[in-house]
Amino acid sequence: MSKPVTLASLEPGRTAVIGELAFDEPDAVRVMELGFIPGAPVSCQRFVPLGDVAVYQVDGAMVAIRRETAAQIEIVDPQTVRRSPAGDN
Amino acid sequence: MAICGPPNVGKSTFFNRLTGLRQKVANYPGITVEKRVGAFDLATGETLDLVDLPGIVGLHPRSEDERICMDVLLGASAATPRPSAVIFLLDATNLQAHLRLVPGILGFGIPTLVLLNMGDDLEARGGSVDPSALSARIGAPVVLASARLGTGMEKVAAFLEGTLAVPERVELPVLNSIPAERNWAAGTVVGSGYHAPEPSLWGRRLDRLFLHPILGPLIFLAVVIAVFQSIFTLAVPLMDGVEAAIATSGGWLGDLLPDSALRGLLIEGVWGGVGAVVVFLPQILILFLFIGVLEDSGYLARAAVITDRSMRAVGLEGRSFIPLLSSYACAVPAVMAARTVENPRDRLATLLVAPLTTCSARLPVYALLIAAFIPEGPVLGPFLGTRATVLLGLYAAGLAAACGTAWLLKSTILKSKPAPFMLQLPPYRWPTLQALGFRLLDRSKIFLRRAGTVILIATIVLWILASVPYQDGQPPAIGDSLAGSFGKAIEPAVEPLGLNWKIAIGLITSLAAREVIVGTLGTIYGMEADEASPQLQAALQAELSFGGAIALLLYFAFAMQCMSTVAIVRRETGGWKWPALQFAYMLALAYGSGFVAYRLLS
Repeated sequence: MSKPVTLASLEPGRTAVIGELAFDEPDAVRVMELGFIPGAPVSCQRFVPLGDVAVYQVDGAMVAIRRETAAQIEIVDPQTVRRSPAGDN
Repeated sequence: MAICGPPNVGKSTFFNRLTGLRQKVANYPGITVEKRVGAFDLATGETLDLVDLPGIVGLHPRSEDERICMDVLLGASAATPRPSAVIFLLDATNLQAHLRLVPGILGFGIPTLVLLNMGDDLEARGGSVDPSALSARIGAPVVLASARLGTGMEKVAAFLEGTLAVPERVELPVLNSIPAERNWAAGTVVGSGYHAPEPSLWGRRLDRLFLHPILGPLIFLAVVIAVFQSIFTLAVPLMDGVEAAIATSGGWLGDLLPDSALRGLLIEGVWGGVGAVVVFLPQILILFLFIGVLEDSGYLARAAVITDRSMRAVGLEGRSFIPLLSSYACAVPAVMAARTVENPRDRLATLLVAPLTTCSARLPVYALLIAAFIPEGPVLGPFLGTRATVLLGLYAAGLAAACGTAWLLKSTILKSKPAPFMLQLPPYRWPTLQALGFRLLDRSKIFLRRAGTVILIATIVLWILASVPYQDGQPPAIGDSLAGSFGKAIEPAVEPLGLNWKIAIGLITSLAAREVIVGTLGTIYGMEADEASPQLQAALQAELSFGGAIALLLYFAFAMQCMSTVAIVRRETGGWKWPALQFAYMLALAYGSGFVAYRLLS
């Protein structure tokens, strides 16, 4: 079985859809309340200075999260690559 | 009537527009979530009470803010009666994400107006929505408005007066998971003729700049330096003005009153002592003005992202940066702002280290001692002088102590697995003059109330203790007064720092508030309390060695000489344990570093 693709591997300018979340209950709710809800479209906006945090546009809002957190968010369909109008890189 | 909604949808602007100056900020009992209440006049002549509830991101209350909001809506809050109507504000440019919460809010069964705020933004960016279609779908009145421009407000007034047409009730599905909420919102949005706006081009450009790998941190540093620089440069003429006004008015008052002990108390004690502190109001307002601009414009969230890495190095997260920044103004709001840090251990660490950063109350003390003991000279040509360097050094020492202590706490008693850092980046907006004005007004009220209570009382008590017992019908020499005897009694404790009994009195009185020591030393040396006063500087130079002065500076940098902070930490942590530990730790740090500095320098 192949390893799931996570949000951490989404390059700036690319778009995908949120899949499963690998968090415990309270953290999962937190993540979803910020917009990372299974089924929601997400695009990576940029990696922030020094590479720790990335900014995503998810369900219309901009959210900054650490990339280690992004690694716990699965994404589906990253291959259907289309150049996101949101990205600028 | 209650106003609620997610954070950053313009609730405050909306609230200000409805109530104007007829509002006040209070605290919910027992906890320090701020509660804003105001009044609104109906066309019928009745007055409606409005309460602005804290922002909510979901209906699963986790933070104290959210719990308050839920409790009020349920009618379970002792402090606020259940509202008779609710205005639920959301951001029209981000309708789908916010609409998710609507079924839950309507489920409380309170008549609710759904207000789509930022209608101007939506249009400007090419989006649109049909409020009546949305209204029919959710079974509640919907108004598209802009609190910033004031459009749509007549419909809000109509709702409050009960004259706005209410659509037929609709049975909304019970949604018990967030994905279900999102699905419902996505379907509803489509059925309401909603066209999402284009992403803001400016926001994108600004993010590219502010979050740039090299420019981002440089801009951040430049912003921080500019804020500090203007605290010192911009504030000086204003402070001179306030000072002159206090001195002149004190002179007039003195001429009006007959020469008596009461006149002495009023002029030297009250006017001089409180005046010495009120002088710092311009500086504090300038700092809060900058924090207000940074926060309202949306930059502060980007700064938190930039600082996340450094914060993480000491075991905290980016959100701790905001309380730590505001503690440069005052530790009290900083301790309250630590609420935004969700992880309880991180929050505790943040509020425990916040008082170590250099608050504005230390400034008068630093200014006085530096002017008296540090000769002015160039360090970096004309850009940086010796005095500014020492001042910067003290700020750096405070910051280093805060970071070191945070690291110590996070690697020992407050160890926790790193919480996921996540922060919503609000869209960039021009801060409105009105919102900034309200902030400064609130701040001034708080500061002047403090000057009028804590500092006033400390000054009066000291003046009385320094004026008794009378000898041969005359006030005693300061050394023979009650205050003097007390200072001499505790002198042995401060002698190892190179300090004498007069300073010891100041250390005790300044427990009420740090800046009180300037007034105290003025009273003790029998002169005008004024940190620029050359006589006071000369008196200090005669009494203190260089090593003692540095020890005193370090003592003030690290000691928790502020009862308001102790009180707020006790309230925020719900007991005496943490403030006691914090006080003891900071005292030990202050005393230890003062002792070492004095030994090394003399």
